[in-house]
Amino acid sequence: MQAFLSQVLLGLINGAFYAMLSLGLAVIFGLLNIINFAHGAQYMMGALAAWLLATYFGVNYWAALIVVPVIVGGLGMLLEKTVIRRTYRLEHLFGLLLTLGIASIIEGLFVNYYGAVGRPYPVPSMLQGAVNLGFMVLPLYRAWVIVASLAVCLITWAVIERTKLGSYLRAATENPPLVLAFGINVPRMIMLTYGLGVGLAALAGVMAAPIYQVNPLMGSNLIIVVFAVVVIGGMGSIMGSVVTGFGVGLIEGITKALWPEASGVVVFVLMAIVLLIKPAGLFGKPFSGATLALDPEARPPLAGEPRQYLVPILAMAALLIVAPAFIYPVFLMKVLCFALFAVSFNLLIGFVGLGSFGHAMFLGLAGYVTGHVARNWGWPPEFAILGGTAAAAALGLVTGVLAVRRQKIYFAMVTLAFAEMVYFFCVQAPFTGGEDGMQQIPQGKLFELIDLAQTMPLYYVVLCIFLLGFLIAFRTINSPFGQVLKAIRENEPRAISLGYNPDRYKLLIFVISAALAGLAGSMKAIVFQIASLQDVYHSTSGDVILMALVGGLGTIFGPLVGAFAIVGMQQYLAPLGQWVVVVQGVIFVVCVLTFRQGIIGLLARWIGRPL
Amino acid sequence: MNDSKTMNVATARLAAPMLQVRNLHAAYGESKVLHGMAFEVHKGEVVTLLGRNGVGKTTTLKALIGMGVHRTGSVIFEGRELITLPSNDIAKAGIAYCPEERGIFSSLDVEENLLLPPVIGRGGMTLDQLYELFPNLYERRHSQGTKLSGGEQQMLAMARILRTGATLLLLDEVTEGLAPVIVKKIGAVVRQLKAAGLTILLVEQNVRFAESVADRHYMVEHGVVVDTYANGERGDRHETLGSAKLSS
Ligand SMILES: Nc1ncnc2c1ncn2[C@@H]1O[C@H](COP(=O)(O)OP(=O)(O)O)[C@@H](O)[C@H]1O
Ligand SMILES: [Mg+2]
Repeated sequence: MQAFLSQVLLGLINGAFYAMLSLGLAVIFGLLNIINFAHGAQYMMGALAAWLLATYFGVNYWAALIVVPVIVGGLGMLLEKTVIRRTYRLEHLFGLLLTLGIASIIEGLFVNYYGAVGRPYPVPSMLQGAVNLGFMVLPLYRAWVIVASLAVCLITWAVIERTKLGSYLRAATENPPLVLAFGINVPRMIMLTYGLGVGLAALAGVMAAPIYQVNPLMGSNLIIVVFAVVVIGGMGSIMGSVVTGFGVGLIEGITKALWPEASGVVVFVLMAIVLLIKPAGLFGKPFSGATLALDPEARPPLAGEPRQYLVPILAMAALLIVAPAFIYPVFLMKVLCFALFAVSFNLLIGFVGLGSFGHAMFLGLAGYVTGHVARNWGWPPEFAILGGTAAAAALGLVTGVLAVRRQKIYFAMVTLAFAEMVYFFCVQAPFTGGEDGMQQIPQGKLFELIDLAQTMPLYYVVLCIFLLGFLIAFRTINSPFGQVLKAIRENEPRAISLGYNPDRYKLLIFVISAALAGLAGSMKAIVFQIASLQDVYHSTSGDVILMALVGGLGTIFGPLVGAFAIVGMQQYLAPLGQWVVVVQGVIFVVCVLTFRQGIIGLLARWIGRPL
Repeated sequence: MNDSKTMNVATARLAAPMLQVRNLHAAYGESKVLHGMAFEVHKGEVVTLLGRNGVGKTTTLKALIGMGVHRTGSVIFEGRELITLPSNDIAKAGIAYCPEERGIFSSLDVEENLLLPPVIGRGGMTLDQLYELFPNLYERRHSQGTKLSGGEQQMLAMARILRTGATLLLLDEVTEGLAPVIVKKIGAVVRQLKAAGLTILLVEQNVRFAESVADRHYMVEHGVVVDTYANGERGDRHETLGSAKLSS
């Protein structure tokens, strides 16, 4: 009983942090219409700032509770004013990408300076010790966290629902241009709101410091759970995010007591159930907020006529055939694996406008399946690859059924959350080899003929598979099916009125994309003879987004070029360790702000034809 | 020798108008809607923009307040060029806007809606005066803004901008779709505001209503002013105007 109650208590504490973080996200989302991917990093900044202030300046916990949110919130306002503001007129996706890049930069920088080790932060003396409640022993600090976070949530709610400032905020959330036309400085309000949301995250960070170890990555996994909380609660209600936050924490705690292995995934299972029953979330209103005008320049370009691409495609194939004469083939194979992965991602985002932030689940799972059937069941490589691809497609079907019910930002969060679920599964499932990964995957003989243990034959097989996947994607875009997808993307209500069922089309393209990502993952497992957790991890999902963005969203050749650029950069900068993360974050930010068309997009504009 | 009365009128006419619009162009993205609107409004006047659906009346008001359209040309208000200002600064210059779709906020109750627009100058009405003018709103002051009837929402949308002390009111089709008794009430309010010295630019399709409250009228077609006349001097031009309502 004691053990059960202490797990429940732990769940409530986690819930307190979920509530404060999802509250901050909701406040920011209401007015800015972006999901703040940097929220986890800002929470971490709060904890780390408290630790730094205590260590170097002797600032105590109570002072930190005030000072840290002000500092971090202020930095947030600066960030909004100088950078984030520039994305409001762009498609939602770019706001996501921008804050994702900012999160990478912040976390990368802190890991560089402080390492990934946890640092203890002392419980303030006033709150040390515990009270014996008879049925359980309650540590004072934990009781304080629950009470304080409830109070913070209530105060935030009261400010928004009961004050003049709050009425400005609510009105500006509904109809920003009209509020501006009344003479209220909406841009400044947006800045303050972002600062408020970030300040809440930082406050949560300070409160978390004595409980969890302070380390630069403490926010990066937490934020994904918080996204799931947000999807469960639905955007649109302040109270909703608080209730959902505590509720999810509680359920997690109970699960931990009853079935510990499942506690990591229970929130994602909950999310799936809610999506099935109530796609808008428990407290969500159908998303209708006034959206700001779209910058036509910011739209990824649409493809041209298929025949226009004949020569460039042949040129690409020819280049790749001769490439091993000039470039290290193993590097090339890595590029091709990631290029196919990026092709699959680009298929969704560039042509349907669906940004999947969890694409690594398909790559990684397919790798494990291919490895397992090849190594443990002795399947030949062709069947192993097919098996991995089929597994990814099946995963795509299951997750897609739920994910395509949500649009844009939500789609991103849902896919990210599912990927996290798959990651947890892979961490715990016995067959994956956990942290060590699945090693010594046999390469075997393709069709009992081609020995894949030899580099050059392997390279050409990989090239063939890449070209096959590339052409499948190309064909998909240019098929009648692809035309319907384009119509849905341009104007979904109209497509519906013409009798198309958008969800079904989106699901199909999602499955195709998942299968292609799986093909890439299977190929990768055979090439490198290893399947690892890294391939399922969310940083890999981030990598593929970056590749597609750098290459040029919605272009035919962008994914290959982007994969080449990013894999090359990672290889080249590998000795710099965590700086790679920072550099990637900077690339994200720069691309979103100034280089949205990507390399191929730029080239295409230059020569005046689509590529 | 001119007699002094005509002289005064002449100088009044010669004095710079409160609002002078010249060569106003406006576009939503690629689609151009206004093609060089020109008109003026003098202090204390009630002036209407009349015209069929879709000719650009609403767009004109949006261009004046700087909301959601790309605009060029010249809008001089009390001697100050507004065309480059963001809409919050235009509001602060003393212009208040009552949108055609009313723009009542559903997440605010009636009183919060009333109190939303900040006071930008002296001479606005107090909350009590507003409730006196619109007793219905007092009854329903704690209701959600969008739960009101159409007529009440229209009253709320107008009442909301009377608190701010703005000197020029832009009213977009305030009688649209309302019962005659409410239209009458709104007419009385408009006359009362004029008597209090406010200046009003009124967009209307309801000619009978327009002629019951306004001093002068501008006819708009395809994004330009095609004609103007003082109230009561319509004569036989624009026969189509004879019908109470311009229809499309
Ligand atoms: N937000 C908008 N985007 C694009 N076109 C618009 C928009 N609003 C109005 N229009 C177009 O501008 C023209 C003028 O509209 P509007 O100013 O509302 O006319 P009115 O108020 O005279 O009925 C119409 O053809 C209308 O379709
Ligand atoms: Mg109109």
